[in-house]
Amino acid sequence: MNRWIILFFSLIMTGAFAHGQKTHSLGDEADSIKDSGKTYHESISVIRKMHPEFLNHKRDKTLREGVRTEEYSLKGCVTCHATKKDNSNDYHPVNSEGQFCSTCHKKVATSVDCFSCHRTTPAQGAK
Amino acid sequence: MEKTINRRDFIKTTTATTAGVATLATGITLTTFVNANENPVTNEKRWGMLIDTNRLTETDIDGMVGACQKEHGWGSDKLSTGDQKASWIKKLKVKDTATGRISNLALMCQHCEEPPCVDVCPTNASMKREDGIVLVDKHLCIGCRYCMMACPYEARSFVHEELTDQKEHMPRGKGTVESCTMCVHKVDKGEQPACVASVNSDAVIFGDLYDSSSKINQTLKKVQSTQIRADLNLNTAVRYSGI
Repeated sequence: MNRWIILFFSLIMTGAFAHGQKTHSLGDEADSIKDSGKTYHESISVIRKMHPEFLNHKRDKTLREGVRTEEYSLKGCVTCHATKKDNSNDYHPVNSEGQFCSTCHKKVATSVDCFSCHRTTPAQGAK
Repeated sequence: MEKTINRRDFIKTTTATTAGVATLATGITLTTFVNANENPVTNEKRWGMLIDTNRLTETDIDGMVGACQKEHGWGSDKLSTGDQKASWIKKLKVKDTATGRISNLALMCQHCEEPPCVDVCPTNASMKREDGIVLVDKHLCIGCRYCMMACPYEARSFVHEELTDQKEHMPRGKGTVESCTMCVHKVDKGEQPACVASVNSDAVIFGDLYDSSSKINQTLKKVQSTQIRADLNLNTAVRYSGI
């Protein structure tokens, strides 16, 4: 009987802590844009669903044709969605545990291949 | 929260958002990105380089190699040894066996008009831009290294180890081939490649080979210059004088 009570309480507590966890940050820059009431992406559902296509399309435009606009540039994604480490000027890599990219990608079990080559933090000197 | 959406609603919302995106995107194009490179590069230009080996000192060449490493972040790969090490640009000593005259060259991807690396690539990763710059599309590169074998200049390197903290403008990763990009990210902004900028004299000239008012075009008209392995008929964009 005691065993069941312990199990029951531990489940309750886990649930409570999980609920109390801080929601995942959008990234420093993205948070400040959101807080200021502005929007960057026209539609969250579109960008959520379509970002792989946008990025794939843009990568060919940039690499093969030299079109270097900011729209849908991966550099832009990283700049806005990276979060600074506590008490430090360094950033968490966007693909590290609990960060912007990995949170969803881990949940849906889709690997992100971008960052085996691309930089995972904004460049020094960037905002 | 229950989220059920039928096909009709889905199409409605998607159409509405797409229209929204289109409207907004037009606005953005007009304002924010007016100065960015919006248009694809064309074959009206062909970027090239002229290296005067008589004026280029060994120190200059070392400076060029250093500038390239700094710009693109290669050369500090910890686990690679010997031939595995990346080498986008190298110092080369050539000796005329008849006279014993030694010249020093900076050798990098020659950005051929008929690049053998592009011919052999099985995935179309090795590619030439319209303006003549030869690049590796690492999204498509499977790391087979045929291009490295095909290149008569041994200009390409293969990344043998996992990398982090790459340069923002120069993605590099394990299992892909890489080489001189003629600093395409700078050229697209109207700047000179890093190696050219590192040389103080006119020993290295960069510019549009087709533009008759460009310095490189005018110099090539005046001075004797050669391509390395001209016998291969690759029509390189990097030319040398004084050898």
